[in-house]
Amino acid sequence: MFSLHKTSVAFCFIFLSASAIGGNPFFVRTGAGERGTGLVCVMKNGFWSSFSSQSLLAYNNSFSAGVNYENRFGIPELGTCTAGMIFPAGKSSLGVIYSNFGYPEFKRNMGGISCGMPLSRNVSAGVQIDYFSEIVQGEYDKIRFITFEAGAAFSLSEKATAVIHIFNPVPNSIRKSLLPSTLTAGAEIDLSKTLFAGAEAEMSTGENIIIRTGFEYEAAKKFWIRGGFSTENSSFSFGLGYLLKSMKIDLGFSTHERLGVTSSVSLVFKIK
Amino acid sequence: MIFFNHKEHKGLHKEHKGYCLNQICLCDTLCPAFVSFVVKKYLFSFKQKLIILIALLFLLCNASFGQAENNNEIISDIAEELAAEDNDPDAASLYLEYFNDLIENPVKINLMDENDLSRLFFLSDFQVKSLADYIRRTGNVVSVYEIASIPGFDQHTVEMMSPFISLKVNDGVSSDSLSVRSTLITNFILKPGEYDTSYLGSPLKILAKYRITAGRFSAGLTTEKDAGEKFFTGSPLFPEFLSAYTSYSGNGVIRKIILGDFSLRFGSGTSINTAMRTGIQLTAPGFMTLRDNLRPYTSTDENNFFRGAAADLAVRNAEVILFYSRNRIDATPVLSSDSVISSIMSFYKSGLHNTSSLLKKKDLLTETVYGMSLSYNFSFIRVGANWSETWLSIPLQRNANDPENIHDFEGNKNRLLSINYNTVSGRIMIYGEMTVNNFRNLALVNGATLRPSDRLLVNVLWRKYSNGFTAFNGKGPGNSSSAANEQGITGNFSFEAAKHLFISAGYDVTHYPWLKYRCSFPSMSRKGEIELRYLPSEKLNFEFSYDYRYSMVNNQKTTGIAGIEGLESRNFKWLLRYTPDENSAFTTRINYKTAYPSGSRGMLLLQDVYHKFGRVPVTVWFRYCLFSTESWDSRLYTYENDLLYSFSIPALSGDGSRSYIMVKWDIRHFGEVRIKYGFTEVTEKSGAGNFNDEVKLQFRVWF
Repeated sequence: MFSLHKTSVAFCFIFLSASAIGGNPFFVRTGAGERGTGLVCVMKNGFWSSFSSQSLLAYNNSFSAGVNYENRFGIPELGTCTAGMIFPAGKSSLGVIYSNFGYPEFKRNMGGISCGMPLSRNVSAGVQIDYFSEIVQGEYDKIRFITFEAGAAFSLSEKATAVIHIFNPVPNSIRKSLLPSTLTAGAEIDLSKTLFAGAEAEMSTGENIIIRTGFEYEAAKKFWIRGGFSTENSSFSFGLGYLLKSMKIDLGFSTHERLGVTSSVSLVFKIK
Repeated sequence: MIFFNHKEHKGLHKEHKGYCLNQICLCDTLCPAFVSFVVKKYLFSFKQKLIILIALLFLLCNASFGQAENNNEIISDIAEELAAEDNDPDAASLYLEYFNDLIENPVKINLMDENDLSRLFFLSDFQVKSLADYIRRTGNVVSVYEIASIPGFDQHTVEMMSPFISLKVNDGVSSDSLSVRSTLITNFILKPGEYDTSYLGSPLKILAKYRITAGRFSAGLTTEKDAGEKFFTGSPLFPEFLSAYTSYSGNGVIRKIILGDFSLRFGSGTSINTAMRTGIQLTAPGFMTLRDNLRPYTSTDENNFFRGAAADLAVRNAEVILFYSRNRIDATPVLSSDSVISSIMSFYKSGLHNTSSLLKKKDLLTETVYGMSLSYNFSFIRVGANWSETWLSIPLQRNANDPENIHDFEGNKNRLLSINYNTVSGRIMIYGEMTVNNFRNLALVNGATLRPSDRLLVNVLWRKYSNGFTAFNGKGPGNSSSAANEQGITGNFSFEAAKHLFISAGYDVTHYPWLKYRCSFPSMSRKGEIELRYLPSEKLNFEFSYDYRYSMVNNQKTTGIAGIEGLESRNFKWLLRYTPDENSAFTTRINYKTAYPSGSRGMLLLQDVYHKFGRVPVTVWFRYCLFSTESWDSRLYTYENDLLYSFSIPALSGDGSRSYIMVKWDIRHFGEVRIKYGFTEVTEKSGAGNFNDEVKLQFRVWF
């Protein structure tokens, strides 16, 4: 029989994972570059952000793959491994993502298939079908969800973009279990050729609104430095990125008021 | 009966595309007999025939016609503000009724009728005069964008005006022509989840409107049945609500004659005003207008109009309005020991008669009102005086046990005498009105509007309504619907601070020298608001607003004599609206509210999407809203697009989501179908969820 001690520790980690992420623990935001900008990512064009805001997939027209590892507060049990691929398909792009969080006693897996396409010169849209499974060892049921998320991106001008994104708009009464929904809206502006700044507001079921701001600056050719702030836990972030031929390496760090530092590293390969 | 043909009809719509929301459609082959047939069918066997009708409409559908329809921010701002007003629960309903009327009968600005222009309640008198002067000087306005170049107007004001104005001059009908225009709008509104077993009739809401215009003559008929009401009531059987009028409009001595139902306003409305109360929004530039206005009544508020005859006559600079009305209105009776109605305790204004007890209130009282208004335009000042008398067939009896009502009106006769003035000197306009009822109670209104430059407008308004002042059909400027026991001052300004940047702000302080509802002591209230709008392009609109409210109520926690508790709320709102083209709009909005003394917070994030498809005649509204409030005190109101002649401003409280999708389908020149599905989900602390959903269906048919 599973020990009471392990069960209580498992639940402690569940709580930690939720509080550390802030907002909705099921709405996956991954990528070290995104972590470095304070998770301001629904409007930031990039590999990982395309899985947080599928409308951005429309702007990723190259065959690419990436892996990411994120460690929260230096606790190995709170690590998340993520892998993803993007395939161009005519005017559209398709994406696949898989993420694994936790350790043998508590696991949360997520898989998603996404598609993004331009609707007009200034508007693009995307959708992703998500599958979640949550496994807690012992006398607990495995929980499985299927839901979807969708969004749209608008080119306000040549230098500004706005994005809206909805995660899990399905009423919980249909599912007979609680899966929080999240609504995100954000805008970015290219202040210069080397400086990007963005802000977004996010709200999840039963949670307060979170405001995030972040920037990315190309300090040298193929070298980026990043920073950000989130009102959730008053978290500051910073990060670095370097492009080595067709491989991009990113590092990202964010702070938590009480729990410490979350670190993240990712590699993205542009295959074709 | 002669009907318009399709070609003329299409031409009218082409000319009006984008300016009038609900332009009336005309067809040449269908007749009222068919309408009554349809009404009968669907009234008595709706469920069985619904599928057949939908199939029929599918067959008929192959074209669209243009209606620029969207959620105008001024509508939602004011509606939400009124919905949050605890002391005037019917205000939002009356406002939206007025709004519907304005959409249905847009202001024909090229006619240069300043009284008609003043129906655009958000315009100041300066703007009304400026617009009329411009058209007199330069001829008809040919595009709404031209208005932005008129002194006193800007892009933002034009955006507000555009859904409510028409650029037509005479409907394409010459004054000597005998051509006839006719229109009919019929609505069926079904709310399956709201059926109550105590309902007397079907859960359908039915509204039918009919109008004929022939040169200077026009006539109209409106009939309505709310959900749960019987269509025919009384003896002999009559439609639940029936309103009709015939009118004549002229340019000579006779300006207007109306027989039947009409709406009337004298001056600032302290004595007579069956239209909307002015000065309802702190930051609206159209703070106050002071005009007489006689119009046919076409709305569906069942108790707020006159029935009889009215005439507007003008000789040179003098104008006289005479009216006589005898109308049956609803009231709550006081029964004597032998069950005879001895008096009434209050008027019943909602117009809903869907249960036996509510039906007993219907048409209980006969209200007879007559009066006249005389005004004269001197070169520098316009002065007016009016008199009216109201007789109630059953006397009004105040509740003597409640000290709150000690000054209230009692009896069956009310006489109102009023004088008003309005003068413009350079860039300053000063106006005022004094009204006395039964030679006892006084209402005083004085104000000034200053326009130091074309980019700045400043308003100040002072008002005093003595305890017991009563005007049954009056609605003067003020904070409460009763407009008594109130003394206050309000000021606001609107300023074009820079190109594309507009700032407006207002502040109001009101004292209530006597007791009032939920307040067993003399009290006061304060409210302030500041609003910034940045419109960098026609496609983008940023808005930020902050409003503050303070009021005093009884402290329920104390026993014996009620204690005093101050209620305070602060509301922040951010809004971003992006309109990539004329067929799409995306609005993101954040609200954050704090309420004291509870200290609770409330917030919401919502996304609105509006899209009108190009290839199929379908329009879609979608909203997804997440909200979180810590208590009822920090509840938030959100205006929703809804079926026509219906509105929804849900109060969101708790943790959850509110979403809806509404689809409108235009069916050639025949009509439209609207379907709205909305759901609200509130999550309890335990994780359990409360789920409520609703489906609304509406058919609108033109003949």
